[in-house]
Amino acid sequence: MDPDAGKRPRFSLSRRDFLAAIPPTLAGMAAGIYLPEDVLRFTHLKPIEPGTNPLRDYPNREWEKVYRDLYTPDSQFHYLCAPNDTHGCLLKANVKNGVVVYADPSFGYGKATDMYGNTASARWDPRICISGISYVRRFYSDRRVKAPMIRKGFKGWVDAGFPRDEETGLPERKYFEGRGKEEFEKLDWDEAFDVAARVVANIAETYSGEEGQARLEKQGYDPAMVESTEGAGTRTIKARGGMPLHGPIRIAGAYRFTNMMALLDAHVRGVDPEEAKGGRHLDSYSWHTDLPPGHPMVTGQQTCDFDLYTAENANLITLWGKNWIATKMPDGHWMTEAKLHGAKVVTIAPEYQSASSKADEVIIIRPGHDAAFSMGLAHVIIKENLYDEAFVKNFTDLPLLVRMDNLKMLRAREVIPGYQAAVLASAKLMTKDEKPPAPAEQAVQYIPAEIREEWNDFMVWDAKSGGSKAISREQVGTFFEETGIDATLEGEFEVTLVGGEKVKVRPNFDLVKQYILDSCDPETISKDTGAPVEAIENLARMIAENKTKTLFVEGMGPNHFFNNDIKDRTIFLVAALTNNIGHFGGTVGSYAGNYRLAYFAVAPWIKEDPFGIELDPAKPVKQHGYTWAESAHYYNYDDRPLRVGNKLFTGQTHMPSPTKTLFWANSNSLLGNIKWAHNVIVNTLPKIELLAVNEYFWSGSCEYADLVFAVDSWIERKSPDLFAAVTNPFLQSWPKSPLPRIYDTKDDVEVWAGIGLALEKVTGDKRFRDYWHFVHEGQVETYIDRIFKAGNNTRGYTFQDLDASCKEGTPLYLASRTSPKIMGWEQTNESKPWYTKSGRLEFYREEDEFIEYGENLPVVREPVDGTHHEPNVILARPHPAIQPKGPEEYGLARDDLSTEVRQVRNVIKSPEELIESQHPLIPKGFTHVLITPKYRHACHSTAGSSDLDVAFWGPFGDFYRHDKRKPWVGEGYIDLNPEDARDLGIADGDYVWCDGDPSDRPFVGHEDKPEDYKVHRWLVRARYHPSIMRGIGRAWFHFYMATYGSVEGHETRPDGLAKNPRTNYQAGYRYGSHQSITRAWLRPTLMTDSLVRKDTSGQVIGRGFEADVHCPVGAPKESFVKIERAEPGGEDGTGQWDPAAKGFRPTYDNMSVKLYLAGEFIEGTE
Amino acid sequence: MAKVNNWQIGREMDYPFEESRPQKQAGAVFDTNKCIACQTCTMACKTTWTSGKGQEYMFWNNVETKPWGSYPLAYDIKVLDMLGPQSWQGNQYTGKTIFEATLSGERAMGFIPTDLEYAYPNRGEDEIDSLMTEDRYYLRMPHDAWFFYLARVCNHCTYPGCLGSCPRTAIYKRPEDGIVLVDQERCRGYRECVKNCPYKKVFYNHVTRISEKCVFCYPAVEKGIQPRCMRTCIGKIRSFGFISTPDKVDPDNPVDFLVHVRKVALPLMPQLGLEPNVYYIPPIHVGNKRFLRMMFGPGTEEAVKTYINAMEGNDPELLGVLMLSVSTDHIIRKFKVQDGNAIGFDAEGAELVRVPLKEPTIVRPFFDENAKAYRYNVT
Repeated sequence: MDPDAGKRPRFSLSRRDFLAAIPPTLAGMAAGIYLPEDVLRFTHLKPIEPGTNPLRDYPNREWEKVYRDLYTPDSQFHYLCAPNDTHGCLLKANVKNGVVVYADPSFGYGKATDMYGNTASARWDPRICISGISYVRRFYSDRRVKAPMIRKGFKGWVDAGFPRDEETGLPERKYFEGRGKEEFEKLDWDEAFDVAARVVANIAETYSGEEGQARLEKQGYDPAMVESTEGAGTRTIKARGGMPLHGPIRIAGAYRFTNMMALLDAHVRGVDPEEAKGGRHLDSYSWHTDLPPGHPMVTGQQTCDFDLYTAENANLITLWGKNWIATKMPDGHWMTEAKLHGAKVVTIAPEYQSASSKADEVIIIRPGHDAAFSMGLAHVIIKENLYDEAFVKNFTDLPLLVRMDNLKMLRAREVIPGYQAAVLASAKLMTKDEKPPAPAEQAVQYIPAEIREEWNDFMVWDAKSGGSKAISREQVGTFFEETGIDATLEGEFEVTLVGGEKVKVRPNFDLVKQYILDSCDPETISKDTGAPVEAIENLARMIAENKTKTLFVEGMGPNHFFNNDIKDRTIFLVAALTNNIGHFGGTVGSYAGNYRLAYFAVAPWIKEDPFGIELDPAKPVKQHGYTWAESAHYYNYDDRPLRVGNKLFTGQTHMPSPTKTLFWANSNSLLGNIKWAHNVIVNTLPKIELLAVNEYFWSGSCEYADLVFAVDSWIERKSPDLFAAVTNPFLQSWPKSPLPRIYDTKDDVEVWAGIGLALEKVTGDKRFRDYWHFVHEGQVETYIDRIFKAGNNTRGYTFQDLDASCKEGTPLYLASRTSPKIMGWEQTNESKPWYTKSGRLEFYREEDEFIEYGENLPVVREPVDGTHHEPNVILARPHPAIQPKGPEEYGLARDDLSTEVRQVRNVIKSPEELIESQHPLIPKGFTHVLITPKYRHACHSTAGSSDLDVAFWGPFGDFYRHDKRKPWVGEGYIDLNPEDARDLGIADGDYVWCDGDPSDRPFVGHEDKPEDYKVHRWLVRARYHPSIMRGIGRAWFHFYMATYGSVEGHETRPDGLAKNPRTNYQAGYRYGSHQSITRAWLRPTLMTDSLVRKDTSGQVIGRGFEADVHCPVGAPKESFVKIERAEPGGEDGTGQWDPAAKGFRPTYDNMSVKLYLAGEFIEGTE
Repeated sequence: MAKVNNWQIGREMDYPFEESRPQKQAGAVFDTNKCIACQTCTMACKTTWTSGKGQEYMFWNNVETKPWGSYPLAYDIKVLDMLGPQSWQGNQYTGKTIFEATLSGERAMGFIPTDLEYAYPNRGEDEIDSLMTEDRYYLRMPHDAWFFYLARVCNHCTYPGCLGSCPRTAIYKRPEDGIVLVDQERCRGYRECVKNCPYKKVFYNHVTRISEKCVFCYPAVEKGIQPRCMRTCIGKIRSFGFISTPDKVDPDNPVDFLVHVRKVALPLMPQLGLEPNVYYIPPIHVGNKRFLRMMFGPGTEEAVKTYINAMEGNDPELLGVLMLSVSTDHIIRKFKVQDGNAIGFDAEGAELVRVPLKEPTIVRPFFDENAKAYRYNVT
């Protein structure tokens, strides 16, 4: 430590000599016993004067420079820390001897400005977190991908000229059986690009034309999927950019890549550009189950949310499974500071969570029961007449009339002869071939004329005139008030249809009210959710007392359940009843993931026409979308649509194609963190012919890949790019790093461009090169400025200005309409229509699918697996508008509760029946609903990946691994209520086996594959967690799963680490993972062709599938498990875990701990 | 033993050295109500100072969840237990300090944790004091079941246990800022300091065989910049500065204001007798007030009331000083609250930072004439 230490004279002495030499007064001290036995080495030092008072002065202070040297960097620069969370922070790297030693916050956020002269305040600083700080450990980790890598067997297949089975076209199995089990070899970049290009060309050829489709059919794909390729082999080539908002160039470059595949199709099939088909790109936000799927059902908009810093404008902040301070760390202070401004915080969750320690009220409820809970609130609000009648009438569909004969909304044309839908000033109707202008130039909504025609206008019952009245979709808010119509909310009326037929109609409100009053009384809801009646009643009244001032903050927790759309619809209902939508202090937001790529108008980038490439930076781009989107949930579902009984539940607009290649950028979650990962690995991957991954850090996805492209880490990126977040108002760039690359890496966008170059060689078509012209030329800014110019939040900025500011650690504001951004602010404050049919917040869903599934009204459904009650049943007493198709109508038995069938089972139970019912696995010893939420000491899909994070990972972090069974310096664990654990014979810190439904977990067919089962069955530690409710288990989702390589490492390495000896992949479990107990689920209501919703980007309205807006989202927290003790927790493999053995753990408390907990070391009384 | 004055316990006490206070005393206030236990501070410290061999287990800064968390294991329970019954009469502590409760021949009372007790640094995280039972499914203020986060660094005590017990006189307090350092040249690793720091913030390096501890990032403090753990505090719980004794209070100094004027910030286990210089605003939600008194002394209930009073809108000055917390990486020496803003100044009175108590809301025009662009929230 001291550079001069070696130059000084030294002497040494033994412990005994030393003890003899020191003054007798000290010799008796306990100090002696702590001296090391071996020889001490002393540097020669001036003795300290006896009588020195070190409180006052000290003679030897030159040594202090050692720490100054250690602390002081040689240079500093700013870079963007851009993990898969919702922040993204400009950090200051401190460099010493060419090495980044530590990161600092930039303290530049308080200086952020926009083009209107607004400036943020220093309350925004500092921005950083534990994962940002520990990132340097990942940057220099031995898990870096150091060069392009190819799996050995895959290379064999390529070298052999792609041998395939003649009958089915499948590649010869021997080349693919080694996935996850064999060596990787380094390639140089040109080789890697060449391999990728030749493989995709071969796959496109294999699966093109009728012959190609016939092969796919022989391989067993669903006919609807085969049909959806339209005969183009390129349609089986898929790419996914994960969370592209974090790098629209490097990540959304994957989408441009799939658009380029149209060139390959033209080459392979010899078709004209009009006929050419691109590849497919996979969803991002909905894939992570971050999309709250009920938001577009209510608002037409992808998601409503708000910049979190608006918290201080609220009086009441309700957190629905949203552990704000744990998962929104740099924005945690906005919540605690809102409290300093007097706001009250309520947590609604299955545990006393970290945010509960900041809450005024803590409500414990069963997971997946948020919809039931909110309907309990709605019950109190409606029953006690606490709702805001004006808001309900002006902004929602609750006054609109529903026909009781067919359960559809009544249309004006049905009752008013010759009625023509109102001409709209707030929308432009588009003919079939009309294209809307760039989002920046869209002054109104853009609606296809034929859809508008179908919608017509809706009807209310006017109390003044005593008859029905038509209202247009722009007669909302003040415009509705101006009509003078006194819309009735309750009652049943009769209208005469144009044909003379009389039908009964009721306002939607009346139907909702009947359902809520009949089925959702607080007593019932309390029994179903666990929340006490008093909590339901008090919270309902508090919300009603804080109209326009209550925030509803939905988290990932409730969103990860099968009934997630209902959760949104019911929470919105409570918010709408209390005028808490679209206000700075009162609105609804859902927080999971970072998704709003629509801040950036990326169409000129990802959909540039590859047949007409614009090489002049100044000229506008010709756009043509040859790429086709689909949801990755079908790949996750063993590459199948949802076909159960006699019905295909996946809508045509959603239909996936067979998956033959997958290119992933920033997508560890597509395999490394996927739910039902173990089934995908064993059963689905063998169908896929190329897995190509861009990574800087060897992830779970890399473990099973065929090709791994080594890309830059965030800290060393050289290529310009953008970043924004849904939780804060900033626009950020990735400043170019001055740090030399430490390995043979490239930027992601250079990977896409490189494959383009190789495809030029394979096909002779120069357009593959030109498609990435400005990447090859080092002028990526050109693409960004095209994006800026098209976007309504970016036009007026140049990338150059943004980048200059970010280099200094200061972002710009996005030019959104308001800051804080409040989705719905324009609707509520300026009476603009929502993006729905009616222009209103819609709670009634009249589409055929919803009526068929019994969900035309917002109703309560049990979770599909994560419940002690019978799964997925609808809670309702008889109701005239709830008339679903039962299992028999799909050719299914009513008592068939198997997991596949359960998804489409529309069975109604009364409150009494529901409470009495049981999960079918309870008789088999299954006891717990196990949830897998997000945690704070690791970074989303990049998981627990640095030793520092992992050492602080809950209670079992131990740098020295006293227990050699430990997979790493920390490990994943299950939280159990101590009383539950004792009932199961499990001690604190024991290892347990945790199993989900054995019919399909960890993977289908595990009975016949014991070797695979061993790798994929979950062995995990148990913690006594006093804060969690009974019957619920919890395991954080961020740990890397066990792989074949990590299991081999754990079983054969001398250090026992669960680390793949070939790849350095490090697992957080010895066996299996938290994904061993989950599976993929497809929810029928999320696969309709009829739902009206805004497109992802711009003001254009459409219907049916839209990636990341209306598509499946999975249900990754749904699992009902059995937990059995596997091994004792003692460090030596026997006995109790040390802290429990010593009496310092909950329920093991020794006498000192009891005194301590009671505060009784202090004498005296209160 | 000398007799020294410890104002935190309201009396004189025994200490191995004569009282001598530095010209300035570096210190800080931590608001437990804002701490989010993100451990950013922990890792900021770790990556700066303790990434070497022998330092793997060292966390000069850590955040633990009370009551079940402690690093090393049960350091506080053990010392409180060893100290025996502790009593206060008003603001005067009438029990024994660790310097007074010694066995003969020892300078202070303490213990050395075992190797295994330094494992599991985040054990106890988010664990409530008692079990979550059905009758606790609805908790209101104050909470019947609770935990709170306690961020800890070396307290750079006025009467350090480590300094007082070092047989080599290798630990000293810097006269210019009161920072307590272990002389890395002189230390021989006897571990008396480890034993006698009741907060267990001195660590023995088993590779170099000398002891190390938090240096309050003096290379930064010397330049007017806050230590690493302070300036990376995204919970914005930390007000770092210099604390005066009660007789020399500067009400414009944020730390003095919080500790002496509002008395909202309290020392950790003052009864141990070290006069620690890191202060805590106690958690307002904890139902067991007696536990808080044990941890923060007799001023707890008043401090909680003072904090709640500010939340009710009655104390803009207190609000202001808390909003300034970590809004700059510079050390704020004075502050002022006026016109809805809180302003921080350096030692020379130059403005360092100005923040609004409430961040303003911005509404931009729907159509931007210059850019020819329509602005939307729903993009």
